[in-house]
Amino acid sequence: MNEQRDTSADSPKGDYVLLAIETSCDETSVAVVRNGREILSNVISSQIETHKQFGGVVPEIASRKHVESITIILEEALREANTSLEDIDAVAVTQGPGLIGALLVGVVAAKSVALALDVPLIGTHHIAGHIYANHLIGDIVYPAIALVVSGGHTEIVLLESEGKFRIIGRTRDDAVGEAYDKVARALQFPYPGGPYVDKLAQEATEEVVLPRSWLEPDSYDFSFSGLKSAVLSEINRSRMKGESPDFSALARGFQQSVIDVVTGKAIKAAKEFGARQMLLCGGVAANRGLRERLSSLCEEMGLPLLIPPNKLCTDNAAMIAAAADLKWRRGQFSSLDLKAEPILSLEDWSV
Amino acid sequence: MKAVEKKNEDSAVTVLSFDTSTAAFAAAIVRNGERMDSTVSFTERNHSVRILSEIKDLLSRNGIQSKDLDAIAVGQGPGSYTGVRIAVTVAKTLAWTWNKPLVGVSSLESLALGAWNSLQKSDEYMADERKIWIVPVMDARRGQVYTSRYEATTSGEWSRIDSDGIRLIADWAKRIEEEATTDSQVAEVWFVGDLAVHQSAIELAEQSGARLRTMSFDMDAEAVGQLGEIRFRQGERADIHTFVPNYTQLAEAEAKLLAASRGE
Repeated sequence: MNEQRDTSADSPKGDYVLLAIETSCDETSVAVVRNGREILSNVISSQIETHKQFGGVVPEIASRKHVESITIILEEALREANTSLEDIDAVAVTQGPGLIGALLVGVVAAKSVALALDVPLIGTHHIAGHIYANHLIGDIVYPAIALVVSGGHTEIVLLESEGKFRIIGRTRDDAVGEAYDKVARALQFPYPGGPYVDKLAQEATEEVVLPRSWLEPDSYDFSFSGLKSAVLSEINRSRMKGESPDFSALARGFQQSVIDVVTGKAIKAAKEFGARQMLLCGGVAANRGLRERLSSLCEEMGLPLLIPPNKLCTDNAAMIAAAADLKWRRGQFSSLDLKAEPILSLEDWSV
Repeated sequence: MKAVEKKNEDSAVTVLSFDTSTAAFAAAIVRNGERMDSTVSFTERNHSVRILSEIKDLLSRNGIQSKDLDAIAVGQGPGSYTGVRIAVTVAKTLAWTWNKPLVGVSSLESLALGAWNSLQKSDEYMADERKIWIVPVMDARRGQVYTSRYEATTSGEWSRIDSDGIRLIADWAKRIEEEATTDSQVAEVWFVGDLAVHQSAIELAEQSGARLRTMSFDMDAEAVGQLGEIRFRQGERADIHTFVPNYTQLAEAEAKLLAASRGE
């Protein structure tokens, strides 16, 4: 990614190294990033094996695991980056949104490093991180539309200019990733089941056509709880008839409905707001069906599309550094009294 | 504390200590067993907000830099899960970043020692060669307390009788009362800490035998530092990476899973 360092050359502060920490859910991650774009290390410790046995993320256990891992991952990130603490110019951390107990561990760890090294602290918005993960792989052209799809979030965000976030659509109930996990459970896949549903849908030869939830004609909002119920009632209907439900046709029907709606709305938003670029991000951006459809739709209308590789789509600290870079370059730092916020406005976090 | 006098007189030891296991945020700088400065606050329920600013202020107003510190001592719990995690995470991360030795001490023992220090200073304390039991108490809801028991003497002995744990206050107070009644060496029994909701249970446990005295007492980081210094001088060092709070019990989800696996 060295070739993409050119745009940070205009940084008033010149070369700088950021240490970033992300603990908003069940991944403990620390990254060392130079000039906001060049990843020197991005260590991610997933707790997924622990939470699997509970069928979902248990907040208290996630918090405990973060405490167990935090300094180990800090050390690993520095070692991998071949960087010493004296080289760190600032510390960024996910301030929110997320699980409060989990966020707290990262926030107090980041504040401790900032105090101990006497360097600035940058509280960072988790969704801004997902969006600016794209800045780690390419240049963002404004205005841009970001389609954020993850286990906890489903949003369409308009970026009129760098660092200015405007949410034009959001889910009214389940996030896409949540809907995937619930449907996966109904299809008897282990947690987290999203990737299984994606794979099954890809391989399916039949499709049970399920409803599309478009909501009001002018709305960019989403709703997935009805779709999830439709899957469950199809399963029940088959069983009552004494048949075994066609899981692969259902997976395909579910996936097609989700993809139609999220890509349809994202493309409509791109047209309405004259976007010059589409950004796909969040953990569900790893979904193959979604990537393929959005790619072909953007290609049809000649709209450039950025999708980070899977490792930068799921929760990671490099993306937090990428977003914190917006604040670093403007000298917008947080105080040592930074407070972890389970709910945090993305728009208010704008530069 | 006389135990501190066992120290190697040649080497001064300066410890930064803090605890967030209770409603109090408490921090102190302790040098050679003596409080250099300390701070305690209840204003912000969320200790994560002010903890680093408070530590920064405490160090700077005493002209202490990281290079002047010999160790970091932290209350490892038990107590509020979230609360204990805050101090433990700060202690781990500061110790790691500054490359300082880390010493974990029991938050309950700190509470007990702080109260004992305070009792010794007060006039009502009666001089006696016999033992005094100090029973620290932190509310753990549903009639439960985080508690343990320490034995002190005016000649400076200090030892733990029971391990830190979560217990029903009614049963616990009754047991302490019975044992104190039958042990003629026990001169006084003091329940100390956050007693507001447990006062009546303690009073109920009082029969005709030993008197159960109570003293409301807030966490004092001086005691955290004193205990930390003793351990430090004895060569104790926590492994920073594996250092975790003493929760005293499994998370609820883990306990349920374990019970299910046993077919309960």
